[in-house]
Amino acid sequence: MDLRAGDSWGMLACLCTVLWHLPAVPALNRTGDPGPGPSIQKTYDLTRYLEHQLRSLAGTYLNYLGPPFNEPDFNPPRLGADTLPRATVNLEVWRSLNDKLRLTQNYEAYSHLLCYLRGLNRQAATAELRHSLAHFCTSLQGLLGSIAGVMATLGYPLPQPLPGTEPTWTPGPAHSDFLQKMDDFWLLKELQTWLWRSAKDFNRLKKKMQPPAAAVTLHLEAHGF
Amino acid sequence: MSVLQTWLVQALFIFLITGSIGVLLDPCGRINPESPVVQLGSNFTAVCVLKERCMDYFHVNANFIVWKMGHFTIPKEQYTIINRTAASVTLTDVTSLNIQLTCNILTFGQIEQNVYGITLISGLPPEKPKNLNCIVNEGKKMMCYWDPGRETYLETNFTLKSEWATEKFADCKTKRDTPTSCTVDYSPVYFVNMEVWVEAANALGKVTSDHINFDPVDKVKPNTPRNLSVSNSEELSSILKLTWINSNIKNVIRLKYDIQYRTKGASTWSQIPPEDTASTRSSFTVQDLKPFTEYVFRIRCMKEDGKGFWSDWSEEASGITYEDRPSNTPSFWYKIDPSHSHGHRSVQLMWKTLPPFEANGKILGYEVTLTRWKSRLQNYTVNDTKLTVNLTNDRYIVTLTARNAVGRSDASVLTIPACDFQGYLAESKCYLITVTPVYADGPGSPVSIKAYLKQAPPSKGPTVRTKKVGKNEAVLEWDQLPVDVQNGFIRNYTIFYRTNIGNETAVNVDSSHTEYTLSSLTSDTLYMVRMAAYTDEGGKDGPEFTFTTPKFAQGEIEAIVVPVCLAFLLTTLLGVLFCFNKRDLIKKHIWPNVPDPSKSHIAQWSPHTPPRHNFNPKDQMYSDGNFTDVSVVEIEANDKKSFPEDLKSLELFKKEKVSTEGHSSGIGGSSCMSSSRPSISSSDENESAQNTSSTVQYSTVVHSGYRHQVPSVQVFSRSESTQPLLDSEERPEDLQLVDNVDGGDGILPRQQYFKQNCSQQETSPDISHFERSNQVSSVNEEDFVRLKQQISGIPQSCGSGQMKMFQEVSAADAFGPDTEGQGERFKTAGMEAVLDEGMPKSYLPQTVRQGGYMPQ
Repeated sequence: MDLRAGDSWGMLACLCTVLWHLPAVPALNRTGDPGPGPSIQKTYDLTRYLEHQLRSLAGTYLNYLGPPFNEPDFNPPRLGADTLPRATVNLEVWRSLNDKLRLTQNYEAYSHLLCYLRGLNRQAATAELRHSLAHFCTSLQGLLGSIAGVMATLGYPLPQPLPGTEPTWTPGPAHSDFLQKMDDFWLLKELQTWLWRSAKDFNRLKKKMQPPAAAVTLHLEAHGF
Repeated sequence: MSVLQTWLVQALFIFLITGSIGVLLDPCGRINPESPVVQLGSNFTAVCVLKERCMDYFHVNANFIVWKMGHFTIPKEQYTIINRTAASVTLTDVTSLNIQLTCNILTFGQIEQNVYGITLISGLPPEKPKNLNCIVNEGKKMMCYWDPGRETYLETNFTLKSEWATEKFADCKTKRDTPTSCTVDYSPVYFVNMEVWVEAANALGKVTSDHINFDPVDKVKPNTPRNLSVSNSEELSSILKLTWINSNIKNVIRLKYDIQYRTKGASTWSQIPPEDTASTRSSFTVQDLKPFTEYVFRIRCMKEDGKGFWSDWSEEASGITYEDRPSNTPSFWYKIDPSHSHGHRSVQLMWKTLPPFEANGKILGYEVTLTRWKSRLQNYTVNDTKLTVNLTNDRYIVTLTARNAVGRSDASVLTIPACDFQGYLAESKCYLITVTPVYADGPGSPVSIKAYLKQAPPSKGPTVRTKKVGKNEAVLEWDQLPVDVQNGFIRNYTIFYRTNIGNETAVNVDSSHTEYTLSSLTSDTLYMVRMAAYTDEGGKDGPEFTFTTPKFAQGEIEAIVVPVCLAFLLTTLLGVLFCFNKRDLIKKHIWPNVPDPSKSHIAQWSPHTPPRHNFNPKDQMYSDGNFTDVSVVEIEANDKKSFPEDLKSLELFKKEKVSTEGHSSGIGGSSCMSSSRPSISSSDENESAQNTSSTVQYSTVVHSGYRHQVPSVQVFSRSESTQPLLDSEERPEDLQLVDNVDGGDGILPRQQYFKQNCSQQETSPDISHFERSNQVSSVNEEDFVRLKQQISGIPQSCGSGQMKMFQEVSAADAFGPDTEGQGERFKTAGMEAVLDEGMPKSYLPQTVRQGGYMPQ
């Protein structure tokens, strides 16, 4: 029977082909490797958890710094905190980031922030504050590992820290006590913004890893012919 | 004691020896190994090595060694003399946990001198720890526990090891009193998987448990919900509302709950269905409770997905449901004082208090009404449970209701008969006899029975009718006879049925039925049926009922008609499909397509014009299909014999050249084009063919045209060159299809075009997201504290906006890398399409351009 004799046969053949290819559609095959989805979900949850942790930690720490840092409307200019990685970014730029760049930026930012935070830990006065800072540091360390895990799953290399740019905490004499506190303030604020941004980053990644159903249909059509 | 003695002797001996030799604490020999630990049940060998100077001093050698286990001398069979100075002993199947083993020498013939002693400790290597699990008590450090396996009899150390993929944590060493659990000294980090295992080690070995990998958040035992309180509702007496305060972990994970309740004093707990409390909440309304009842509640919670541990039960909280009106009437009775005088009597009414589950609240009082026969009402409100009234000798009806804060119960009705009530009983009347026991504290539960003084046959028979009539069966139904006409207890029914001609058949039916199915009836037959009801005293026939069974059972006709229709439909469908598939063949037979020569263009036969479908020789088969509209016969001739035919025509052309006379018949016989066109054979004017507008001689025109050329290659292309002309004129869509197939990925341009459409559609809502997102991003720049305050709210809105952003981006991403290329491809495809359409028209210029070949 000539396939081209009638459109009905063509459609039938197409249908058969589609059915034949159905088991090969990756979206329908859930038995294999779960992919990076679960680890991204976990990382997302972790950022939300850290956000929550930081909220109480920042409150305690700012109280420890005392006024004006613990005043609700305190909004100082960003002085001397230039070494901190900035989380704020133009939306267009943020949207145009690819997965690798997005993850790399997160990884680098938290490596730096963690270093600074460890400096904070050494300075903290009360044992309770030291303990919550230490736990937060450990959690942040966990986030770093989590991001590294996601990057490994997606096949991206970990960014190598450039020698010399490795941030070190220097409670140098150049800083006055007030400026020092200002740095601490900015570190916490930047951390909060970063965690917020990471939650967005990972939410975006998470959704990207679940391909929309429409793409599957298109894929099938391509197979059918 | 004896051991001590032995050691004392040994010490003394050593002291003497050292004293005599002058070296402090130098024993006469040594046992190797010095502090052995052996596995229970295994063999053990120790070697005693004597020192030369001792041997000289005492004049002994290894043969003089005697091994002792405590006080018991080990038999000589277990010794092995290794050399002059050393002898070993082998203990088989060591079962004691602690053995003192000494090496002695026999000096001066008989005296045992202790040389050296060791303590042999035995035990078992540790077993692999099993069932390792961890628990994270909210706000506390993680504790892991395991099953250590068998007793080892040795000091065994357990070490809990934990690590992340990237980092190791400090070991957790068990304390001596809790060897099966260990609490790590760091707070676990939720949402980061960690690997934990336990290592057991003693002198006999070291084993490691299986590693477990988990997220600490899945091992959480939340803190108990606090401040459980219960409140009732005045609107609904069957509900109680519970409220509580969740532990802080609700900010990190979602919770589910387990709520239990019981009435106060009950011992077993009832459970709220878990599916009703499967999400984070801080209150719950328990329904279907009894009114005015005290309930006790308790609650616990755990992670919503069931991973982890239930929290401890909360403290119990109790509450009382609101009152409802009494659900039952009090039991009610009367007592007539026998000593009545001149037309009056004293009647004492009494009733029971309602039990709490019927009172549904605090009973505030009772209301009693007395009604004399068709007379006025007397109302009493009583707090007590009895009431004494003075009544006339008439018949009275007394009602009693109980009242609480919400409402009153239904009325309980009691008839106090007239004083001179005399019983008269009629025959064949049904009486309901009720006996109520009266106890000291009131009436008991009454018992009733129906009775007849004397039964009689029913005064009327039951009326039977059909409920449903089938082909072979009929369902009969009837009503119970009214009590008035029963005249006795109906014991059974008999159904009589017969056809017009047949015998009557009787069926007995139990009196409890009101329906009966007659089976094995004959179809299309008239039946007469009647029914009789029987009491103990006899029966009575009811009216006769006739019905006719139908010829066909229900659905039988449909069962025949529907398949027939379906079959017909299917046949028609197949026929149509067949016709559709073979439409070309049918079309050829019924109305063959005759090309209109007036629409032909001579220039399009240009031999230099490459036929479109010949771009790819593989697609020849598709282009063949294009000919179906012209004539299958022609195509076949063309296909199968194109080369020989063309050769033949070549020869013919040569002949024609010689003869100069165009033999149309000859051409017509050989040329495939002319065979189906009688008009061609009629053309014999060679020259006139140059005029394209002349009637039908295109066969000859070509002929002549070729005649002016070198008739070698062009002759072949003549038959070929006609194909695209006909194709393009008659089946332009086929051409396009061929084009599409051409590229191999021919469908791609079309599809990509579709995709582009998709992405274009999706970009339109994009603008709004962009604006919204911009707003969100502006928050970034706002001050920290406001950020802090909003941060709980914003990420959600941000997330939803983001989702949309993501969708749009994903669409762009999915096709993104290709879009530019697609655009180009799309453009080229469009070009091709334009070319296809323009091709037939631009043939002439093309021929000019390509070969300069022009028909003369």
